[in-house]
Amino acid sequence: MQITLRVNGEERTLDVTPYTRLLDLIREDLGLTGVKEGCGKGECGACTVIMNGELTASCLVPAPQADGAEILTIEGLAADGKLDPIQESFIEAGAVQCGFCIPGMVLAGKRLLDENPNPNEEDVRYGLSGNICRCTGYAKIIDAVMMAADKLKVEGSVNNGE
Amino acid sequence: MKKYGRGLATIMFGFGYGEGFPDHSIASIEIKEDERIVIRTAAADVGQGVITTVIQIAAEILRIKPDYFEVIQGDTHTTKNSGSTSATRQTYFTGNAVKKAAENLLANIYHYGSLEFRSNHPEINVEDGKIYMYDDPDNYITYWDLARTLDQNGKKLEAEGSFFPVTYKPDQEGQADKVYVAYTFLSQVIEVEVDTDTGMIDLLNVYTAIDLGKAINPKNVEGQIEGGTVQGLGMGMMEEQVIQDGITLNPDMSDYLVPTSVDIPKFKHYLVEDEDSEGPFGAKGVGEPTLIAAAPALANAVYDAVGIRFFELPLSPSRVKKALQEKAAEDE
Repeated sequence: MQITLRVNGEERTLDVTPYTRLLDLIREDLGLTGVKEGCGKGECGACTVIMNGELTASCLVPAPQADGAEILTIEGLAADGKLDPIQESFIEAGAVQCGFCIPGMVLAGKRLLDENPNPNEEDVRYGLSGNICRCTGYAKIIDAVMMAADKLKVEGSVNNGE
Repeated sequence: MKKYGRGLATIMFGFGYGEGFPDHSIASIEIKEDERIVIRTAAADVGQGVITTVIQIAAEILRIKPDYFEVIQGDTHTTKNSGSTSATRQTYFTGNAVKKAAENLLANIYHYGSLEFRSNHPEINVEDGKIYMYDDPDNYITYWDLARTLDQNGKKLEAEGSFFPVTYKPDQEGQADKVYVAYTFLSQVIEVEVDTDTGMIDLLNVYTAIDLGKAINPKNVEGQIEGGTVQGLGMGMMEEQVIQDGITLNPDMSDYLVPTSVDIPKFKHYLVEDEDSEGPFGAKGVGEPTLIAAAPALANAVYDAVGIRFFELPLSPSRVKKALQEKAAEDE
């Protein structure tokens, strides 16, 4: 069957089977390998994408369900070769070690900040709790999201001419 | 009721393979005509940061910004053996191999540079990628110029370094001159609150002091401490593989729990830089030592809070609650 969806702002039409996972469609058919497969059971968050504005475990979504959907993966975050503030913050905070969880973590952080631009640390911890990391101990990832919140506030006030 | 407690544990960790097992690393560095400096090492960076570390080391010795470096890693066609990324050994072993290669390369820069200026080493200076006579600093040649000049003569501006320290097997009493190349020491204090109604442990703060010789990249060191400690706390509080008749009953992340962002404590780190080892700039390994003290410090903190000694991990709510009930029954 054929589905059409928007991935990182670009419309894509693909042939899929009813049991193709959205994860495999993104990785195999579209070649966007920033989306990782961890557990394959919706428990670890490595395959996180933002689908229609919501954090989604792409390993649990049959591709036909994504027909007509708007999907953002880690590859779509940087604009015009410039990193998103949250990506910059992950680098500056030293939040990345092996990196396997990081695409999902960054998207979870972005989703959190889209919804709540002024999070406290508890909000950030809760917002990231669906994404498992084995190497960093989370502390610097939490720092990075807090740092990104500050950056976005500064950017916002500059854009508003304040 | 919530009861506060704090516990301490201290560990020492001999790193490298040790015990007489052959343990070495070989690295090479080449200055290219196209303004790159290429480090070749088989050291695998699995996220711990050895590539960043060796670039910092080489940049320091070669007196040039880290921006010019690239690392070819783990390519059997172009790199020599660096040993495994295990045993907390890469900063020490490959760090030293790269440092020696950089020192040999700096010597070559002086050697070929002095030929260009028809002078001696003491009369020339090497700084920021430039070579010049002390008395005429404006008349310099760059590392890249020198590499091009050598290339025309069929030579390369490169050097290799290797590090191959000797260790000894312990005797029957466990004694030897040097069983491991060096030891990392770590002390950790953990503060907890134990909920006596549910048996749940809240992690408050973890204070870590680590004697690591020299923190070549302090942020990476902090990342190692935090990651290792959280794995140790997972072992201490929640991670339990349940096996029955040879079958693991909890092979999922929903049954075999590991810490998430809501479970972790606040951290404070104290880096003790003694520079007392033969590692690069006195550095010692920090990987595995960061994991070991967490569970015993946690168990000591729980003992401080509720007066119960545990000899089995993890200190899951059910295990703690059961022990609290048994203690209450004994106390009656």
